[in-house]
Amino acid sequence: MNPVLTDNERDRFDSLARIMLPGGSGMPSAETLDLTGSPVETVLAIDPSRIDGLKRFLGLEGLVANMADIETLAQRDPDAFGDLGVVLANAYFMHSRVREAIGYPGQEARDSSVGLSHEDLALLQPVIDRGPIYRDR
Amino acid sequence: MSTADPCDVVVVGSGPSGAVVASGLVNAGISVTVLEQGDWVPADAFDGARRQWELTQLRKWHPNPNVRGRADDYPIDTDQADVNPLMFAGVGGAALIYGAHWMRFMPSDFRVRTLHGVADDWPFDYDELAPFYAYVDEAMGVSGQDGNTAYPDGAPCPLPALPMGKVGRKAAEGMNKLGWHWWPGSNAIPSRAWRNLQPCVLRGTCGTGCSDGAKATPDRTHWPDAINAGARLITGARVSEVTTDAHGRASGVIWIDRAGKRHQQKADIVVLCANGVGTPRILMMSNDRHGIANSSGLVGRRLMMHPFAAVMGTFDEDLESWVGPAGQILTSMQFYETDASRGFVRGAKWNCMPAGGPQSFRAGYGDGPLTDAWGENLHARVRRKFGRSFEWGIVGEDLPDAQNRITLSETLRDTSGLPCPKIEYTVSDNTRNMLDFHIARAIEAMEAAGAIETSTTRLIRDCGWHLLGTAVMGADPEKSVVDQYGQSHDVPNLYVMDGSVFPTSSGMNPTATIAAVAARNVLSLIENRREAVVAA
Repeated sequence: MNPVLTDNERDRFDSLARIMLPGGSGMPSAETLDLTGSPVETVLAIDPSRIDGLKRFLGLEGLVANMADIETLAQRDPDAFGDLGVVLANAYFMHSRVREAIGYPGQEARDSSVGLSHEDLALLQPVIDRGPIYRDR
Repeated sequence: MSTADPCDVVVVGSGPSGAVVASGLVNAGISVTVLEQGDWVPADAFDGARRQWELTQLRKWHPNPNVRGRADDYPIDTDQADVNPLMFAGVGGAALIYGAHWMRFMPSDFRVRTLHGVADDWPFDYDELAPFYAYVDEAMGVSGQDGNTAYPDGAPCPLPALPMGKVGRKAAEGMNKLGWHWWPGSNAIPSRAWRNLQPCVLRGTCGTGCSDGAKATPDRTHWPDAINAGARLITGARVSEVTTDAHGRASGVIWIDRAGKRHQQKADIVVLCANGVGTPRILMMSNDRHGIANSSGLVGRRLMMHPFAAVMGTFDEDLESWVGPAGQILTSMQFYETDASRGFVRGAKWNCMPAGGPQSFRAGYGDGPLTDAWGENLHARVRRKFGRSFEWGIVGEDLPDAQNRITLSETLRDTSGLPCPKIEYTVSDNTRNMLDFHIARAIEAMEAAGAIETSTTRLIRDCGWHLLGTAVMGADPEKSVVDQYGQSHDVPNLYVMDGSVFPTSSGMNPTATIAAVAARNVLSLIENRREAVVAA
């Protein structure tokens, strides 16, 4: 499958990603994850409605050296910046290394049949003891 | 235009009310054709078990049809609305992406006029509806804890409650310190395998569709059995009007398929279950867009949508707060009833919810400077809050106001070329005062539970899940559209059996009551069918 982003667009995306996701607080940086390849292409394959806005933002001319520069571009096309934010964030948070770093296994399946525990029922007892609260009919 | 064989009853809409109505009719030996503008959505279409879950909820599975932009949905003009109406066109209706919060109304909800001198009383009370609640609870496999002190009968549930988890215990500790009511959540999500439903796996993605077949939606709870019993369900069928004969009786409906072809479905009785926006839209589109069943002038008026607020608390410990149900873990009715000293009438129900995945803590553009939204601040915020936060959601009672209404857009059209609904809706001062009061109390609840940080959302624009009141029921034809069984005052063989008939909204998630009222209505229709006046 041909990549959606051109080489120039990937370079621009990489520049933005390095500033917007510099890493910290135990989380990896965009630079170390290389989001410009499979991660971003995967996001765009799942939600192609973001492609036009993303490409529009990546095509905006202007220096991108820091967050203030990005802010200036974002004000020129907020909708396109919104698409960049969605694509970048999802490429990042869908990455296994990010999930491992924050202890997120994804929306995993668990057993619901365990129901309420004895501890739960003990917490509930004071509510029961206070009695009914509905307004008398 | 093609014409199908006539049926006894044509039902418009396959959501919870349409499912209850059609099931009741077909089980009584009455022939039913059901028209649904959307399609079947299999469980594996939903992304809950996939990594892209947080991505696709932003568009593909977003609750706002204007954001989704699917051809099966109709766009809605919301330029003059404080709140966006939310819905989904598919077999099972908006329940496919509802949270399955399954709440009975409180007894006082049926007597607002008597108790407070505002709005209207319902034509029946809690006790009369209670057996129908039990009936639909059973069909939906509701999980919960019996004995809720907020209800006279304890609101019994057929299945045991879902686990409270770390989030529920933390929230309960705070409520207990304050001596406030809470109760394990009641959800239309089975904690055990139940008929056509799988047991819940606590994935926490209920609001974007259950990928495990474990949420009670009519495509699982009702339609397979109803179709086996003989109900005819047609998908991709968008109803454009109810047709009438020379005497003003309903003769059937016209519907348009996805290719744009028009079809006529004749029936002795027409039942609209197309939700509080879709039903008045169809009524207004009928009779060459002059409308039917509207001698009261109330079709489309009194729209209630439950403005919603939320308080998020962050804690200095791991709460695994991406784990479900979502679904409601706990509820509270501590401040549900009116207290005149608060400066507003009626109240709100609270629901404790998990915070979801890490992107819950990603600010959007416009929420502040980019230096706050991204960069090192984003990393710090996610580490501080993810897995350590939960929410008290606040569903405030929305009182009826004739100025909050649905009309037909003069410019916006759906993919069938039909006029789209236009919403005019203003949040009242009573509601704003109510939400402010409840937000302050919810912050207290969070702090009592040990929150190190709280954040508030005062009014969420995309919160119009509950579409109620736009074809109000009552005894007086000058003040209501249908009688207490959903029968039109003007068109005797036309019925409305969805949330459009609600005189007031309560402060509860309404699907349980929509289904219970539909069950009560269809029983009456079956019992009185031989007396029905049909088209010539």
